[in-house]
Amino acid sequence: MLEIKNLNVKLADEDKVILKGLSLTVPKGEVHAIMGPNGSGKSTLAYVLAGRDGYEVTDGDILWNGDSILEMEPDERAAKGVFLAFQYPMEIPGVAGLTFLRTATNAVRKKREQAEMTTPEFMKFVKEKAAKLNIDYEMLKRPVNVGFSGGEKKRSEILQMAMLEPTLCVLDETDSGLDIDALKIVSDGVNALRGPDRAMLVITHYQRLLNHIVPDKVHVLADGRIQKTGGKELALELEKSGYAEFTGKAA
Amino acid sequence: MDATAAVSEKAGRGMTVQVLSTKAEQAILSSFEANAAKLPGGAAVAALRQAAMGAFASKGLPSRRVEDFKYTDLKANVKDVLPLATGGAAVDAATAFGAHFGPEFAANAVVFADGRGVAAAGGATLLASVLGQSPGWVEAALSDTALSASADLLLNTALFTDGAVIDISAGAEVADPIVLVASAKDNAMTALRHVIRVGAGAKVTIVEVDRARQGVGLRQSSALTQMVVGDGAEVVHIKVVETNKGSLHLGHWQVNLGANVTYKPFQVTVGEGLVRNGLNVLFNGQHSTFDYGAASVVHGTGHADSTLIVDHKVPHCTSRELFKTVLDDQARAVFQGRVIVRPDAQKTDGKQMAQALMLSPDAEFDSKPELEIYADDVVCGHGSTVAEIDPDLVFYCTSRGIPTAVARALLIESFIGEAIDKVEHEGLRQALSGIARDSLTA
Repeated sequence: MLEIKNLNVKLADEDKVILKGLSLTVPKGEVHAIMGPNGSGKSTLAYVLAGRDGYEVTDGDILWNGDSILEMEPDERAAKGVFLAFQYPMEIPGVAGLTFLRTATNAVRKKREQAEMTTPEFMKFVKEKAAKLNIDYEMLKRPVNVGFSGGEKKRSEILQMAMLEPTLCVLDETDSGLDIDALKIVSDGVNALRGPDRAMLVITHYQRLLNHIVPDKVHVLADGRIQKTGGKELALELEKSGYAEFTGKAA
Repeated sequence: MDATAAVSEKAGRGMTVQVLSTKAEQAILSSFEANAAKLPGGAAVAALRQAAMGAFASKGLPSRRVEDFKYTDLKANVKDVLPLATGGAAVDAATAFGAHFGPEFAANAVVFADGRGVAAAGGATLLASVLGQSPGWVEAALSDTALSASADLLLNTALFTDGAVIDISAGAEVADPIVLVASAKDNAMTALRHVIRVGAGAKVTIVEVDRARQGVGLRQSSALTQMVVGDGAEVVHIKVVETNKGSLHLGHWQVNLGANVTYKPFQVTVGEGLVRNGLNVLFNGQHSTFDYGAASVVHGTGHADSTLIVDHKVPHCTSRELFKTVLDDQARAVFQGRVIVRPDAQKTDGKQMAQALMLSPDAEFDSKPELEIYADDVVCGHGSTVAEIDPDLVFYCTSRGIPTAVARALLIESFIGEAIDKVEHEGLRQALSGIARDSLTA
């Protein structure tokens, strides 16, 4: 279970406060969506969950399965099951996709006290996962994300997610830059990972993604805190009314 | 410092002759005088050596006032001169190579132990033995006047004790790389001269390895390679220099390309010593390609200088240069890339890129592109970048469970790997990657 308690976050080198007492609970087996206007703190929440530098938690805590993760390095969080699918996946020139996947998979397995995969085991595993996401195996021999289209990058993120077998998946604007077909493939990939032991936090600006990844709950994030929580129908309401109600400004 | 005039009869007031003022310069002259009688070659070669030493005496070691040595002041940095090695105990190839070259390279390797070739192999003969028999082209090559311009090259002509002579006949395709390995005992100076001729349409890969890591002692080495590449030939030319703190390597390649040639040099430099790698390439025939790559990993107070002069004398030639360096501690790398496009060299296509990855705020990278273009229908470009490891990329890797240290190593390796990937021969590429990787974790 993910428990975010009264989380207050500011930028480390500026006075700007972004999250102002955000509280949220996502039980295992559930998928929660976070929707909100631009600048409400959605991406900050995603980065703080993954442990990116540049943010300072001034108050509150984040517990994953009862343990605070705030003091953990990003790789320790990954080993504990936290995975962030980036809004803008990064390109790593010179590192082949397969090398990257294998290094990451085995690093995580080692920390989880699982046996590292041999080359044939890894190849079989990655081929199987890639095929499901409609990712050409040859593409994985190329440097990570270099020259990939927007859709290819997002599929590559979901492949990494599938390989690392996380228990907390945070998807940051996974629908951005996707056409209808790619959205379907990515959503199917995410849905395939839904399960009783896995919690998911799907961050999105638009309701569209939630037609494919149907959430158990929808939270509205505006001005640094959760303003409203509801069922999946809340997303449809927001699609009609916009976020004006929560920002104090006309849409 | 002792201001005694080493060439006193010429050191009159108002003359252009400069006195050999440093201890190192005087030691070089003494070393030459002590060893001249036993250096290989007949009367003509002896005269050539004498003339070279005379010219060196008038120039002295290059200081930063010599433009090509602006960032690599040998006069200031070479304080002591080690005794010249003129032969010693034989060393087997595997020992000379170090850990990274597979056993398959040993069969075709010529090992130079303490300045003398142990045995001819793989189509290479030994310069010291060839000089006695005097094939005309070798001695003619030795006296190439292009090599008398710079003091570091004059030193080699005066002092070389041996080297390889490689003569690839027209149309020959040499399957296995020919490897020249220099190895020497600690606290010695070596000077090797390699003379190479590649016939028209031939294909060959030549690798030079110079290592100063097998002991803890110091090593000074000079290695000068002259190569003439015939029309339509394809040559891969690789150099590995491994140095330790306090050691010195002065390397130079002088290369003349015919028409329709593909010449692919690649140079790897690692360690903490002072290294100068000069490379002069002349395009003498049309439609030839020069495709250079370099990867250096320098730490401590190491200093690695790569100075290229590419001379487009004729039209329709292509030059590519990719230089990559990783710098840690107080290390310094220098890249000087001069590209000359003569008035007749229309349709020249020249591109140059020099990139440094800085692992320490105290490291320094001096990058000096010099494009001298006298023709008007050419495409030439250059770029230079200096960067630190991108923290966003480190975060991306760590968010996937990769520990920070591993992530950094992966990103550094990928940076240098982009250059090493230019080497097509898999065994060689793996050897070079291994050498670079070891140096990164040193």
